[in-house]
Amino acid sequence: MEKKELFKYIDDPDQVKIGTAVSHGAYKAWEKALKQMKPAEVIEEVKKAGVRGRGGAGFPAGVKWGFIPKDSPKPKYLICNADESEPGTCKDRELMERDPHATVEGMAIASYAIGCHLAFIYVRGEFVKSYRTMEKAIDEAREKGYLGKNIFGTGYDLDIIVHTGGGAYICGEETALLNSLEGERGMSRIRPPFPAIEGLYGCPTIVNNVETLASVPQIIKNGVEWYRSMGTEKSTGSKIFSLSGHVNKPGNYELEMGTPLSYLINDLGGGVKDGHNLKAIIPGGSSTPFLLPDQIDTPLDYESLAEAGSMLGSGAVIVIDDRTCIVWVIERLTHFYRHESCGKCTPCREGTGWLEKTISRIEHGDGKPGDIEKIESVCDNILGRTICPLGDAAVMPIQSAIKLFRDEWEYHIAKKTCLVKTEFEFK
Amino acid sequence: MILNEQSIAEIKKKMVRYPKRKSAILPALTVAYYQVGHLNADIYEEISEITEIPTVDIAEAASFYTMFPKEPVGKYLIQVCHNISCALLGADSLISYLEEKLGIKKGETTSDELFTLISVECLGSCTTAPMMQINDKYYENLTREKVDAILDELRSRA
Amino acid sequence: MSDNNKVTLTIDGREVTVPKHYTVLQAAQSLGIDIPTFCWHPKLKPVGACRMCYVEIEKRPKLEVSCATPVMQDMVVYTDSEKVKQGRRAVLEFILIDHPLDCPTCDKGGECDLQDLTFAHGVDDSRYDHKKYRFIRDKKSTFDDWRIGPEIIRNQNRCILCFKCVRANKEAFGEHDLGAFQRGNVTEIMPPPGRQVANLYSGNLVQICPVGALTNTDWRYKIRVWKTEQIDSICQYCADGCNIRLWRGTGGLKKIFRATARRNDAIDEGWICDVGRYGYQTVHAEGRLTTPLIKKDDTQVPATWEEAIGLVARKFKEIKDKKGGVCIGGTITPAMDNRSLYAFSKFMRLVLNSNNVDFRTDYKMLPEEHGDLYSRLTEQKFKIADIEKSDLIVVIGSNLIKEHPIVNLRVRKTIENMGAKLYTLNPFTTKSADISTDEMIYNIGTLEALLNGVCTCLAENNTKNKLESLIDPKTAEKASAICGIETERIKAFAEALRKAKNISLLVGELVTSSSARELLASVINNLILLAGIHNKGQVGFLSKYSNSMGAQKLGVMPHLSEKKIKKLKSIWGAYPDSAGLAADRMILSATKEDLDSMFVIGSNLMLSYPDGQFVKDGLDKLDFLVVADMFETETTALADVVLPLSSWAEYDGAFVNLEETEQSFKAAIGPVGHSLPAFALVDKIARELKSPLYENPEDMDKDVSELMKLESDNNYAPQLREVRYIKPDSNEEYPYALYVIDELHHFGQMTEKSKSLSAFCSEAFLEMSPSMAEKLKAENGTLIRVESEVGKIVLPLKISEFVENDVLLVVRNFSASAVNVLQMRKRRTDRVKLTRVEEE
Repeated sequence: MEKKELFKYIDDPDQVKIGTAVSHGAYKAWEKALKQMKPAEVIEEVKKAGVRGRGGAGFPAGVKWGFIPKDSPKPKYLICNADESEPGTCKDRELMERDPHATVEGMAIASYAIGCHLAFIYVRGEFVKSYRTMEKAIDEAREKGYLGKNIFGTGYDLDIIVHTGGGAYICGEETALLNSLEGERGMSRIRPPFPAIEGLYGCPTIVNNVETLASVPQIIKNGVEWYRSMGTEKSTGSKIFSLSGHVNKPGNYELEMGTPLSYLINDLGGGVKDGHNLKAIIPGGSSTPFLLPDQIDTPLDYESLAEAGSMLGSGAVIVIDDRTCIVWVIERLTHFYRHESCGKCTPCREGTGWLEKTISRIEHGDGKPGDIEKIESVCDNILGRTICPLGDAAVMPIQSAIKLFRDEWEYHIAKKTCLVKTEFEFK
Repeated sequence: MILNEQSIAEIKKKMVRYPKRKSAILPALTVAYYQVGHLNADIYEEISEITEIPTVDIAEAASFYTMFPKEPVGKYLIQVCHNISCALLGADSLISYLEEKLGIKKGETTSDELFTLISVECLGSCTTAPMMQINDKYYENLTREKVDAILDELRSRA
Repeated sequence: MSDNNKVTLTIDGREVTVPKHYTVLQAAQSLGIDIPTFCWHPKLKPVGACRMCYVEIEKRPKLEVSCATPVMQDMVVYTDSEKVKQGRRAVLEFILIDHPLDCPTCDKGGECDLQDLTFAHGVDDSRYDHKKYRFIRDKKSTFDDWRIGPEIIRNQNRCILCFKCVRANKEAFGEHDLGAFQRGNVTEIMPPPGRQVANLYSGNLVQICPVGALTNTDWRYKIRVWKTEQIDSICQYCADGCNIRLWRGTGGLKKIFRATARRNDAIDEGWICDVGRYGYQTVHAEGRLTTPLIKKDDTQVPATWEEAIGLVARKFKEIKDKKGGVCIGGTITPAMDNRSLYAFSKFMRLVLNSNNVDFRTDYKMLPEEHGDLYSRLTEQKFKIADIEKSDLIVVIGSNLIKEHPIVNLRVRKTIENMGAKLYTLNPFTTKSADISTDEMIYNIGTLEALLNGVCTCLAENNTKNKLESLIDPKTAEKASAICGIETERIKAFAEALRKAKNISLLVGELVTSSSARELLASVINNLILLAGIHNKGQVGFLSKYSNSMGAQKLGVMPHLSEKKIKKLKSIWGAYPDSAGLAADRMILSATKEDLDSMFVIGSNLMLSYPDGQFVKDGLDKLDFLVVADMFETETTALADVVLPLSSWAEYDGAFVNLEETEQSFKAAIGPVGHSLPAFALVDKIARELKSPLYENPEDMDKDVSELMKLESDNNYAPQLREVRYIKPDSNEEYPYALYVIDELHHFGQMTEKSKSLSAFCSEAFLEMSPSMAEKLKAENGTLIRVESEVGKIVLPLKISEFVENDVLLVVRNFSASAVNVLQMRKRRTDRVKLTRVEEE
């Protein structure tokens, strides 16, 4: 069954209004944190709850917050990363459009925990409805005194700025986001220095995903025990999975961590569309390696997916049926990564271009012997050699596709055409 | 002056909220884009004057982002997602359909300057594929019928 | 171990201890290990973009980029393991996939990082089998070169996107005419729409580009770098004293082909301005004087050295014997090497028995006694590098970028990287405004009032009482009313001075060349004392020319201190008794026909002296004028004898920069034509008069050295001085203040003759604020008649990017427009009126 915690009130169209949200418990955790807890205690709670970054990296949020230097005289910044651009992922949009106050409250608590008085939410520019909803929610919160000066009479000030992007996947990467927010071109930064020490405007900064922050109020309100009662030992809580591709019932489903993938695809998703057979599954957004049909029972948590040779990532599950040419899929993805590469570091900038050209050639019937080895070699020269994970993200699906479906690639090269090919109809 | 009073006021309002002036570049570009429909060198100069940020910084940032067309487009900018989830559900075929219906190829504008058709990367609407964004609205779970209705509606509004 | 600020690590089996903030790259460099890089630059922040500097570090699975990895205690690093070698080959392969094989026609060949590193670390074949991407502006052109500035040509195909040019332009120079556009592998480096790369430092971008993506017209297709050799030289265009390299052809090609920076971290840090870079072109420009000229029947005809020297010596002797050396005056440009300056002084004093010696020929004179008016205000030596120690920098009376471009960069660096604060005090806005905490534009001629106001805020208790008895205005409020700067700002500035831990005070030309400079010296003296700068910082009086300092120290002035006279007497055995005349007085004396003759070396008085009519009157009345210069000028045209002068690139010499650092330069080529260095031609005359100055030029070095070592005669007894502001009469008819300045790419010494510098700007103009232009209903290019009490001139208008108030600027570097006809030596501020030319 779905575990609707973040999505508890998602079906109530009035949940966007602050009155309704409050009646459903919004801002109670904020009040509790501000009035009854010290910032260090908030960090401890979130650390113990074990909530991990829901944007894709899976880094424990509480631990990250703890990196903020306590004695730094510089202002601290909290940034909510709402630049959801990983192909397959659309969960943050739903959270922002239908329960914005959860995120606002989460940002407030996180800000308090790290000592931030001016927080930002960086929403991708195309999500017009999302950022307008967030702006309205923030205005409402300010009106009601949940944001602004002297909140709850505690003397704490906090405001939130909604900053919209311009269309760049790379700006979802932490350091590129910081550059973009500062008004620079959205290129990644070298680390060290890490954002928690020197981030936005050179000040200590924490960047968290929408879903991660939206989980925080529940943790504070319902407690660590409650949160840890969901999920597994190392992957606690619930997560929203975006199910798309060849399934009968695509959509965003919230599940306890550790729920088997088969439950999501077959029970909730209604199984592979139109009765076709499953060929491959991308479990965590386009940057993650494929899973094969015989791995469909893999539990959806960080550890199990890593063991299965892939990653939980953003939790975007893309189902691919057996009418699909894998090389075509990879061509589509490689084009995407090349288009989105910021161009700063040599391997990603030149390598994605080279890969796109070669893979495209193969897909369009002009593959040559030795191409697969060349692609593998180029991938090896990009993996782990770049400033930010975009290079890795570009390369992992390619390496996975060659490993698991090598025969399709070889067929392409030998026969100059796809092993399986369908023009997906638009009806 | 290309930017109207309302846009200038909006830019100035957004500008003062940021601790560092340069952060106002993206918001300013967004305001300009929504007023004019595209961006160009003259707009960068105007924004530079209003915000007192050097033109090169504004032009560099604008060129980095793909959401802003750099040349005039039709009244309705149709952006069809062609990334993986949408492609698996027929995005390529949707694009062909639109090309047929509008009588133009991808990247072109109709002769009545009403529609410009382009295909873009993932728009974050994967569970409702295939879909498209027209100006500031998302149109999801598309079918031929729906597409026809949307185009008719937009034509009648123009 | 015991030192908390250092760590010890092992690189390639060798242990090294370095400061904690070092990167692995810096640690390796300190061991002499050469890790290859493209995007790293010693003076720019590391970006980790090229990935060429990979190293393998124990316990870390991935290759790390050494330029971005901080050192850690006990780290074990390998810079040349198999994994690293493979990594580097991969990076080079990636860079080369779209790189055009232009080497045969590319200017960078032979000094190209990509060539060198591919040879050293790359593979010799490419696996890439696609068509290379072409960045092409003009689809009809065969070539992909695009001119992005007067000097700079870009070929984007060759660019490896190390971003050094964009980073240097923004970070180091603070300029906004180059950027990176688009993203991914179609990123392009270019100026923003509608602009060109024409800033003063643009030549550096060509020098730091690792490949031939940015090239300059100066070097384009001229010669292959392996057919040249490098000569160490010093730039002769301003007092900063940047270290440069002159590149001379080998074999039969004994010409200078270009000048580049030669990094000296104490002064230039590897950056030079375009004047230093392209100024060498004057050496080979057309029109160099190659033989002496003698005036016969009103025409100047070529003559031999024998004839010329014979005539000069004869005439000098005549005048000296009949009326005495006091009737002969000599001026020499301060952009001259030590030996020449010393020889000139010795010649005038010892051989002609005249103390009429001066190097100050381009600013308004007073009956001033000592030339070291400003150096007597401080005991410490000024060091450019020490600016970085300051948390407060004050610039008074200087448009830094135009007068001292390299000091300007250092100031910018200190402000951007170290968070220092800058206060500038000028009568018009300068470029430094963008980094100033406060830019105080004071009303014309009121600087002493403003500083009095600041002093009065700084003084406390007894000192305050004493101060008030000496100065006027006495309060910040009164000062504010006079100078036009709000009282709060004056107080804030004083507060900043008080709170600062280390102050660098830079005083520029507008003060040191002003006719009110004695008064200003007093007020600055007060400022230094009251702000305590003599205890916590340094003061730099920014002398202008490459050897102004040397000229001062060697005593190339009429009135010298007791100490110096004593020293010269001891060296020479004799010294003229008569009082001497400064350049201004020499010309005045000439007008009265008391001075019969002048010997002018290297200065074009007719164009540079701030009173054109006055100079002409004086020089016309002389009986005998001898001028030595590199080219024919307005001044040589009046001469009875013209002697051809060698440029600094044609002999060995030394300059003393504004820090009092002596730097020697070597000859790149021999004298052009029959020209001679100043010391040689002066000595020729001396020999003819049976009084040789030396056996060999090197003989003078000992004397020069002794004079350099002589401490200045300052009776450094810091006390407060009297400073009273007197309001000048206004002149209704000539309402606008006029400042005569140098153009950005020209420093007034023949730079017109440089083709590249003329590409940036080749004619004089009148600069004014946009609001003034509007009032005049004029636009860029409109011809304006500028008229003063004594002269008029027509100039095209240039609407200023910076000036906001009603001050006018004209540039003095172009012989076609002698703007000094507008100036009057008696006036502190020149004033003019304007009319648009069609209005007649």
